[in-house]
Parts: sequence; structure tokens; C-alpha cells
Amino acid sequence: MNQMSAPAIVSHKLRAWSGVPALLLALLAVFLLHIAVGAKPLPIQTVIEALTGFDSTNFDHVIIRNLRLPRAVIAIVVGASLSLAGALMQGVTRNPLADPSLLGLTSGAAFAVVVSTALFGAAGLALIPWIAMAGALGAAAIVYLIARLVPGGATPLSLTLAGAAISAFLGAVISVIHLLNQDTFENLRVWLTGGLAGRDIALLAYVGPWMALALLAGIVLAARVTLLAMGDEVAQGLGIRTGLLKAQLLAVVVVLSAGSVALAGPLGFIGLVIPHVVRLYVGSDYRWIVPYAALAGAAYLVSVDIVARIAIPPREISTGIITAMIGAPLFVHLVRRRTR
Amino acid sequence: MTAMVPPRHLVLRSPAQRVALRLPLRALVILALLTAALIVLTVLSLATGSYGVAPGEVWETLRGMTVSRAIDNVVWEFRFPRTLAAALVGAMMALSGAVLQNATRNSLADPSLVGVSQGAALAVVTMTVLFPAFSGGLRPWIAFAGSILVALAVRSLSHTSQGGSAIRFILMGIGLSAFISSITSALLTYGEIDRAMTALSWLAGSINATSWTDVRTLAGWTAVLLPSLLLTSRAMSAMQFGDATALGLGAPVALTRNLQLAIAVGFAAIATSVVGPLGFVGLIAPHAARRLAPAGMGLHLLLTGALGALLVLFADLVGRAAFAPVQIPAGLITALVGVPVFVVLLIRSRPANAS
Repeated sequence: MNQMSAPAIVSHKLRAWSGVPALLLALLAVFLLHIAVGAKPLPIQTVIEALTGFDSTNFDHVIIRNLRLPRAVIAIVVGASLSLAGALMQGVTRNPLADPSLLGLTSGAAFAVVVSTALFGAAGLALIPWIAMAGALGAAAIVYLIARLVPGGATPLSLTLAGAAISAFLGAVISVIHLLNQDTFENLRVWLTGGLAGRDIALLAYVGPWMALALLAGIVLAARVTLLAMGDEVAQGLGIRTGLLKAQLLAVVVVLSAGSVALAGPLGFIGLVIPHVVRLYVGSDYRWIVPYAALAGAAYLVSVDIVARIAIPPREISTGIITAMIGAPLFVHLVRRRTR
Repeated sequence: MTAMVPPRHLVLRSPAQRVALRLPLRALVILALLTAALIVLTVLSLATGSYGVAPGEVWETLRGMTVSRAIDNVVWEFRFPRTLAAALVGAMMALSGAVLQNATRNSLADPSLVGVSQGAALAVVTMTVLFPAFSGGLRPWIAFAGSILVALAVRSLSHTSQGGSAIRFILMGIGLSAFISSITSALLTYGEIDRAMTALSWLAGSINATSWTDVRTLAGWTAVLLPSLLLTSRAMSAMQFGDATALGLGAPVALTRNLQLAIAVGFAAIATSVVGPLGFVGLIAPHAARRLAPAGMGLHLLLTGALGALLVLFADLVGRAAFAPVQIPAGLITALVGVPVFVVLLIRSRPANAS
């Protein structure tokens, strides 16, 4: 970066800015497409009409408003949140393998929700975000502790391995709880495969504001993440209070991951894939990576969800299955490429 | 490896002292104890269930006496095959883990961690969902084919120019497992609901539906694979010291490693094809065996097998009895026990392996 001449920096900036409208357009396009496709394909025209001038006597408009729009909105929010969280985690920990699902945050949140549902029945919707956050935070702490104790310290590889172990353990506990409470099982089974089908829009009202706030905070903090990614000492030398910044970023990541899990269940690998793809385009500056990751993540999850809905009609594949199918090979590639 | 304290040995000599066998006493005693525990657990397993049978009655039945028609039926037709299958599967998974750990020189290896079990699972689910006509006899072979493909993929992927590292190897397996599992899940969504349900219960690693046919499959393959494994045990012990030393000691390293890989995959694939993926047994048993009693490779393998059998038998029993009438698949119990063991092993892994 610092070797770039002035015109190079300008052109870099221009290139970075030019991507934003393109991404926004792409997001809008897949958003409309997402609403249009389905068991009853609707023309884009109708979709736009339903969004701009809603007519409650038109059956198609009702389908769009009540069934398809919530799902598309949730896909956007969750996609943006998970990839932004992944980008922040990768920056803070200088760990290319960081991702809310790989480091156990999503399974911690899922575990907390399942346990509390099993213990207290259908706990109020308002409680779920908080429970999920507590679970995500707890799992993250345990994963970090284990990785710290591994000889060699909390390296990307040991963190990921600890995350996988915790996820496996929590997954087994969740399965046992399911078997013991068949009624809880019925309600949560679809949710746990990371599906966006039949999600409750009411939950979005509880989680949405927090996630929006966290997304904003993430974008605001992104500039300082770039400094942090250069190393704690460099960041401190540049006047950053690294401890405080890390705490803020942790809060943002936990809110985003937990909110996503509450909305869509544990979706894997989004936070891993998107920041890496974005980095190919905008380089290593988190001021760009973070907002790009949010936009690209939203567009990505909406597209994946379109595929999930139309790939094998009349059934639906869980969205999480497809994100894993795309993300796991990239994960293998990243592990393989790591020299340490 | 744990530090070897020279243990007391039992030395068997042929009359002319031509052949002598020097066996560590402690390992022999522990093997005997494990066998006794296996028998006790077997009787317990036969006695436990929704239809209560007293241990005494089990004993009578096993000796061929008919206590009652119902007991005969329950013990011989349902519980005995299940118990035997649990023990056999446990031993097979444990041996597979032990061999994988030796062949890859990686103390964290386990068939379910490196994707071998998932490969078998994908192959079997593909068959169940897409070609339900082919089932039964072909299943172990298809599972084997699926596993060996994954094993080869992990092996070639984890060998980079810097050589393999323990953690990278496992992470590669985890990544591949995630990929394979996602395909398996997609197939399950695609398939007919009743076929998918069959596949789903099998995927949880549950032993409850095993029959005598399954036991015959397991026992037959064990009878082939175990002796071939014991034949390579001498080369295996040489390979513990590293490839260079092993070559110097005259061990056919490349041949042994390929053979070992085939045997490990074979054990895991056959076991998986019958009861589904059963995690962490292959991780726990070899380490536990090493801690219980340091022994030569052959005896170590026997100890490992016995421990694995004990572990799965126990897991099946707990899963059956703890929350009766709900049955918890043994695979879940082994995961619950296995993850903490895995974490401890990870923390204790040597720094050279950790990076």
C-alpha cells in the first residue's frame, strides 16, 4: 500500500468505489429474483408493484408481502451479518480461517436456544436473542481458552480445531435434547439445518434493530481494524486502545452471529467465504473489506437461497447445506495454503 | 508416546528355548481384566431393556436352556446380535483409529475426524436413496469404496511441500467431512421421505436395528482384517520411530503404510456400513490403551480392540438405559465422551505437532 504512487492510490479508490453501485444493483436484482421465483413464479413487474403499491385484494401481492418478502429480508440481514462478522474476526485475530461457524459461535448460540427452549418451553421471542448471545459468547470464550492451552498458543489452526471440537460436542448434546423432547425437536429441526424457510418475521422485529446497530458499528470500527490487522503493537503505536477496540469488536461479532442464528439457524462458512472473495477485489484494507463483505454477503445468501428454493422442485434444500457445499472446499484450500 | 518405564514381563519359552515370547505382565493382566469386563457388560446388555430379564436367566439362556419362550426370543433374536455388533463395531473403530494414528504419525487421527466415516456414509446414503434395489450384501463394499476415496483425497491434500502436519491433516479432514456431509444432507432432502428416514436413523450411529446378518458381516471382515493387521504389527512398531529409522530397521515402510491405510479404511468402512458413523472411538481407545499399559504393538492392538469394544458396548448400554424408553444412539454418547478426550489430547499434543 505505502509503495503506491499517488495516481495508483486514486485509481485504487476509484476502483473500490465503483464496486459499490455494482454490488447494490446486484443485490437489488437477486432480491427481486428471490421474491419472483418459487412454487408460483411471479413476473418481476408484479414484484415491483407489490413493493411499491401494495394491493391487499391482489392474491399475488399478499403472497409477496406475507411469505416471500420476509424471507428475502432475513436472507439479506443474515448474509450481511455473518460475512461482516467473519471479516471482523479475520481482521482482529489475523486468522484467515476465522468465521462465526468455524469458531463455535453459531453452535454456541444454537445450543443456548435449544437448551432454553427445552427447559422453559417456548420462551418468549424477546428472550431468544439474549440467550443466543450468551451462548455465542460462552462458546467463543471456551474455544479461545482451549486454543490458548494448546502448545503453540491460539494459532488459526488450533482455534479452528478447538471450534470444531466444541461444535461437535454441542451438536451431540443438541441431538440428545432433541431425542428427549420430541415436541421441541419438531419445532427446531428445520431451524437447526440452517434453513430460511418459514422463518418468523416477528423475531426480526426483536433482533433486527440490534443487528442493524451492530452492522453500523462494524462499518464504523472497520478503519481501526485495518490498523489492528497490522499487529497490536503497531495499532497501539498509532494511538488505538487495542483492548477497548477488541471488546467493542467482540460485542459486534457476538450480536451479529447470535442474531443470525436466532433468525436462520446455524449457517456455515458464509463468514469465511465472502471476506476472502471480497479481498480479491478490494485488497487488505478493512475500511473497504467490511462494507463490501456486508453487501456481498447479503447478495450471496439471497442467491444461495434462490438456488435452495428452486434446485429440486417441489422440495427445498436447506440453505445451510448449500453454503457448506460451497464453503468447505474453500476452507480446505485455505488450510492447505497455510504454511505455518 | 508415553515414557516407557520398563515393566515386569512374563517370558514364555519353548522347551528348547528356540522361541521365546516376552510379554509385559501388566498389559496381560489388563487384557484379562478387560475381557472380564466385556463379559460382564455383555450379560448386563443382554439383561437390560424394556423387557426385563434377570442376569441369572440370561446365563441360563446362553447355556442353551429355555427359561421361557419370550426370554429366548428377546435374548437370541434382539439383544444378542445387538450386543455382539456393538462390541465388534467398537473393536473395529478402535483398531481403525490405532492404525490411522500409526500410519499418519498423528495422535489426533480418528476415522470420523478425517472423513473416512463420512465417505462411507455418503456412499451408503447415495445407494439407499438413489438405488434402493441394491442393498444388503453390496453395502460394505460400497462403503469401502467411498471411504477409500476420501482417505486418498485427505492424504494427497494434506501432503504439501512442507510435509504433513498433525493439525492441518485433521482440519483438512474436517473440511472434507463438512463438504461430504452437505452432499449427504442434500441427498436426504432429495430422496423419498421413508428412504431418507431409514438413512437418517442410520446416520446417527445407532446400533438398535442390527441383526445376525450384520453380525456375520462384521465378524467375517474382522476375521480377515485383524490377522492381516497383526502381521504388519512388527513393521508398525518400527515405524513409530519415524520412516528413516524404520527403513534402517528393515521394515517395508511404503508397503506397510499402504496396507495399513487399506486396513484402517476397511475396518472403519465396514463398521460404518452396518451401524453408521460412530465418532471418536478410534481416537479414545488407542490412547487409553497406551495409558493403561505400555505394550508391544501386537498386544497394544489387542488392548485397543478390547477397549473399543468395551466403550461402544457401554455407550450402547447407557444410550439404551439412561433415558428409557427413549434410545440415545451410541454415536452421540461416544461423541460426548470423545470431545473432552480430544481436547485434552489437543492440549497435550507436542509443540512440534501443533504448528
